[in-house]
Amino acid sequence: MSGSTGLLTEGQDLRIVGFLCNWCSYGGADTAGVARFEQPTDLRVIRVPCSGRIDPLFIARALLSGADGVLVSGCHPRDCHYAEGNFYARRRLEMLKQFLSVTGIDPERFHYTWVSASEGQRWQDVVTSFTERIRKLGPAPKMSGGTGYDEECLKEIAAAVSLGEQCPCHKEKA
Amino acid sequence: MACKFISNEDTNKWLEALAKDHVVFVPVEDGGSVTFRPFAEGRKPVLDRMPVRSPKEAVFPQTETLLTYKYEKDPENPERTAVSIKETLPRERAVVFGARPCGTRGMSVFDKVFDNDRIRDPYYATRRENTLYITLACDKVESTCFCHEVGSGPADTTCSDVLLTPVQGGFAAEAVTERGGKMLEASFFADGGDKCAEAEAVKKATREMLGEAHDYSDAPEKLMAAFDDDEFWEEQAAGCINCGACTYLCPTCYCFNITDEPTGTTGKRVRTWDTCMSFQYTLEGSGHNPRTVKASRLKNRVNHKFAYIPDTYDKHIGCCGCGRCIKSCPASVDIRAIVKAAQARSVKKESK
Amino acid sequence: MQALAELKDQIRKALPELDVVIGWQQGYDALHTRPLFIRSEEDIDKLVVNEFCVVNPSSYLREMRGGKKVGLVLKGCDSRSVIQLIQEELLNKDDLTIFGFGCNGVLNHAKLQARFGDIGYIESAESDGNTVNLVVAGNKETAPFAELCAEKCLTCSYPNTLQCSHFAGEESDKKAEAAQDKALEEFEQLSMEERFAFWQDQMRRCIRCYACRNACPMCVCKDHCLANSRQPKWLSEDVDVQNNFMFQMIHVMHLTGRCVECGECERACPMDIPIMLLRRKMAGIVRDVFAYNAGTNAEDTSPLMRFEVEEPTIEERH
Repeated sequence: MSGSTGLLTEGQDLRIVGFLCNWCSYGGADTAGVARFEQPTDLRVIRVPCSGRIDPLFIARALLSGADGVLVSGCHPRDCHYAEGNFYARRRLEMLKQFLSVTGIDPERFHYTWVSASEGQRWQDVVTSFTERIRKLGPAPKMSGGTGYDEECLKEIAAAVSLGEQCPCHKEKA
Repeated sequence: MACKFISNEDTNKWLEALAKDHVVFVPVEDGGSVTFRPFAEGRKPVLDRMPVRSPKEAVFPQTETLLTYKYEKDPENPERTAVSIKETLPRERAVVFGARPCGTRGMSVFDKVFDNDRIRDPYYATRRENTLYITLACDKVESTCFCHEVGSGPADTTCSDVLLTPVQGGFAAEAVTERGGKMLEASFFADGGDKCAEAEAVKKATREMLGEAHDYSDAPEKLMAAFDDDEFWEEQAAGCINCGACTYLCPTCYCFNITDEPTGTTGKRVRTWDTCMSFQYTLEGSGHNPRTVKASRLKNRVNHKFAYIPDTYDKHIGCCGCGRCIKSCPASVDIRAIVKAAQARSVKKESK
Repeated sequence: MQALAELKDQIRKALPELDVVIGWQQGYDALHTRPLFIRSEEDIDKLVVNEFCVVNPSSYLREMRGGKKVGLVLKGCDSRSVIQLIQEELLNKDDLTIFGFGCNGVLNHAKLQARFGDIGYIESAESDGNTVNLVVAGNKETAPFAELCAEKCLTCSYPNTLQCSHFAGEESDKKAEAAQDKALEEFEQLSMEERFAFWQDQMRRCIRCYACRNACPMCVCKDHCLANSRQPKWLSEDVDVQNNFMFQMIHVMHLTGRCVECGECERACPMDIPIMLLRRKMAGIVRDVFAYNAGTNAEDTSPLMRFEVEEPTIEERH
């Protein structure tokens, strides 16, 4: 982890993060590539050893840091390279999926599924439909700002103290 | 002292006028608790109780960017990376309105540490110079108040520019500093007249509510005598859960941490509040930690306020008596009781 | 109070076998109690049991590991955290002696403050279980208990200490006022945007003092919390909305299937941020999906520590 937050700044493209297991889904994406299936380009793939390696906090952090969507894909249940990693993952990911709504982050921005190494066609479908879904939702709202000051405060301060080119308030604009 | 009078209505107008060229921090209702927020239209100051957060944050914010930096690769020579740095000195002028005398007094500890003969912290000093304190004297006391025991009082003017005292229909205002005097020249102020006597009566009555003051003057030596008494500190710290609520809300706690927070090739150097209650506070690069148990951390907090600061700075107690650390403590740890126990401990020992 | 006398008696008898008994004692004013650590006979009389005994004494257990014989005076809700810790093998059952009693609910300081101005101005408060009589700045006030009690007491199904070695007084027959968590239900009426804005605003108030974490009986990592780790670095030192909320996510996710909903996190919060909404939501999901209630059965296994090959309660995600 780079240690940075807000790595994902405002941009025109959608920022979708994909966590793919090494043995099945990453292979599946590869198969899709080799077969030259057309895919949307908004997905940034992070390869992990197993879906069981995915801490739900990876997803939470991606979403809080400005990702517009997070896609997780592993081996089909009963088909895990490590026998049971995805069984644990399924429970954890389901908990996060159902939890997200209370935070105000649309649960639709997070999807988890299973794609095997041979399912190039399925991978194409998964990526296309998820990207389509995120496109419809649009860019995710951002948690931003320092403590003690809300956006309104910041505006107020900026208006009251228009000194120099530096932002005068305790928080810089970034 | 000459005193002036401002009505409740005019106080709001005064705030509006001040907000034109200052950031005016006022205590406002903020999700159930009272905190200092910049004054804006529609924000009603809450002046009948002590804000949860302390007024130090106007001058010493919890997170402060000291500089921003950027790495740039030399296109001719990719091996070379240049770094450009931009300092971010604060420029705003601010007013803190409605802090209690205890909270404002807290700045006296900051002044000693951040701006003295040897050191001048430019970030702190700039904000401090550009910030005016309009303090509100108390007319009620809380169960956690003990300003009168640490050399302060409900109408203490230390570090204030103007002291307001609530009287019928408004506030009696006295200038404490020259800058404060200038502020009172505003058209909102009328001659104090008999309001001055009323204000004095309010101050006196509040002081009486606090009752007799416990004497902490021998605390430094008694606390130092108890320094190695681990059992004593373990007993005092038993209830402490080692969170940072006490230190973050304290008007005199000034410890900070400096870190670089990178974002790709750019980043910023930030100064953030730190707390001696945390394990990481004394964690050394080697992995060694001289304060592994909570007793030694609590000991540091208590000793710092009641022994180290008085020893270093001419008997000035490093606690302002606002009681925030007691009131907001999830386990009701009471710093007064700990110091008193240390004082009593020596008595017990001597009488043996 | 009969239970209190019995408790003292039971503790007196058990104390020779124990290193310490953790309970409550009167705090600095009428509205506050603070934890009491009974090590000798003379400490026993300091014990109090009333509606101000808000602290969960099991939060101190993480410091007492390593064979110490510990006694605990626990409310029903507190006892769930001990059961969960035993289940996770973080505690040895044989080292613990639990003193139980029937609890009729505790008061919530934030609610008192919201209703009567400032907690510091309330001189006294007494409750008979139905109404609370207060003296605020010299004036007498009364209010129904249900309006001033902790949120968890409204939905409490465990008013009596679970799995205790000793039980004092009569069992409480207090029934939950509501089966559903009203605050959470109301919150979920809001739109996604409104919820997001709500947390954005709440997290702005957070000072990241970690009182929520340190008061949590299930947060056993103590000084080695992920939140303070520099490598890997999950959180920036910046105290801003994003990082503050990320910390809440860390706490919630690490407590999935473990949170016993004792409410200590929210109670400890000096800024009174309603973070229990997040914990209650998660505990509710665990109940819905796995029919599992944390801290009620020491023999059970937490749902995230096991799995089924076929998960009939989890919709298959395509």
